[in-house]
Amino acid sequence: MRIGILANSLPAAANIYHEIKSVPGAEVFVLLSPVDERSSWSGLMLQLARVAVKPGRAKTLKLISQRAVTRFSRPLHDRETISRVKEMKLDIGLHKSGNIYHRETIECFRLGILNAHIGLLPKYRGRSVMEWSLLQGDPVGISVFFVDEGIDTGRSIVLSETVDVSHCKTIAEAKQHLFDQDARVYRRAIEQLAKPNTKFQINDGSGHRYYVMSKLFQDVAQQCLSIGNI
Amino acid sequence: MNRELISKAVGRRLNELRERVNGLDPERFGEGGFFVTSVKEVLRDQAADAPSRLSPFSQNQNWGASDTDCLTSLRVLSLHGQKTMPSAPHPPTEQFLKKLKANITARQTVFDLLADRYAWPLNFSFHAEDEVRETLLMRLMTTDRARIETNSVAAVHTDDLLLKLNLIAVHACATTDLRFLDALNYYYELLPATLYPESQNAWLLVSCFALYARALNSWS
Repeated sequence: MRIGILANSLPAAANIYHEIKSVPGAEVFVLLSPVDERSSWSGLMLQLARVAVKPGRAKTLKLISQRAVTRFSRPLHDRETISRVKEMKLDIGLHKSGNIYHRETIECFRLGILNAHIGLLPKYRGRSVMEWSLLQGDPVGISVFFVDEGIDTGRSIVLSETVDVSHCKTIAEAKQHLFDQDARVYRRAIEQLAKPNTKFQINDGSGHRYYVMSKLFQDVAQQCLSIGNI
Repeated sequence: MNRELISKAVGRRLNELRERVNGLDPERFGEGGFFVTSVKEVLRDQAADAPSRLSPFSQNQNWGASDTDCLTSLRVLSLHGQKTMPSAPHPPTEQFLKKLKANITARQTVFDLLADRYAWPLNFSFHAEDEVRETLLMRLMTTDRARIETNSVAAVHTDDLLLKLNLIAVHACATTDLRFLDALNYYYELLPATLYPESQNAWLLVSCFALYARALNSWS
């Protein structure tokens, strides 16, 4: 299976790369692109600076040495970028960028692009979903699903799992704990997709789209976490 | 649902809101000054011993006929609460939504469309208006919010913004879906405490506060 990690920076992609590389039969590539046109020129310098200062740079340098990185000077929705991605004949994309994908970009991948969303679908779409789950007394978790052009509306959910955040002291720490699971859950999803007749859970729109949370309710979510009311 | 923690937080916010409204100068609202004074009285009385003056709304089972226009109805609702209206046929949502989405960046048109459809503002809470509510909530919490955060409240058409917030507040008084109350929480934190909108219907800020107080009260 040929897998492309869609990222805007090398450190972001490194963990996922090394995790997925060890899946039997997986050929992994990193597709590095700027978020938008403006960031194209300064992109390379920024990448180098990030590699130099970020923790875990050994993993990043190892990734560079494996010649698995393709750097695009223009964003993913750009026509030239799209035609180059198509030529790579990839089966799956793994989202690790700041982009919302256009249909043309999604269609470059035989099966589609997976996203590790830090909320349990179909109930929690959108932003601040971990905080909303805490506030409403629901379990916290991650869902891996195939994206479409909307916000967390892709129909096929590959996996959905609850994650224990009770050991985290702050909302920021809990959120980081969820984000840190991405390489592991992507691996699980790829392994699942490699099996014959994979069944998907349907993202049927039965939940809500959530938005950035007010400070008032963020404080309540923090209290829920602090007192272990989760 | 962590009802107890939510209840304490919204109780604190209700007190802050009362103070903010109490500090408003009615004269800065022009012709809306009398209305602003009345809202101040309602919220002040509430602080003493009149809980029923901020009772929540019940969700409309029928589309209500209106005997007046949207802006007048908002003043009535924010001061006196819900009243029973005779039923009327529900105007189709699909066509309206199409028109609303097509004109979403034309602020005055959006204002006129909303004011016309929701002459009885509680109709915004009617079950079949779900998609309209989601559209307005999304607009407020994405594009409008980002524009204000990047620039200032001057970057948005204030009457359009305030009418949308009033309708969201009406629904927040009638629903247990906390996203609507939190949109009001968010805007309370976002808008400057000293804001006196320079718009034709600046008093919409105060009707929004009155409805917000009612929504908070239902959770406190």
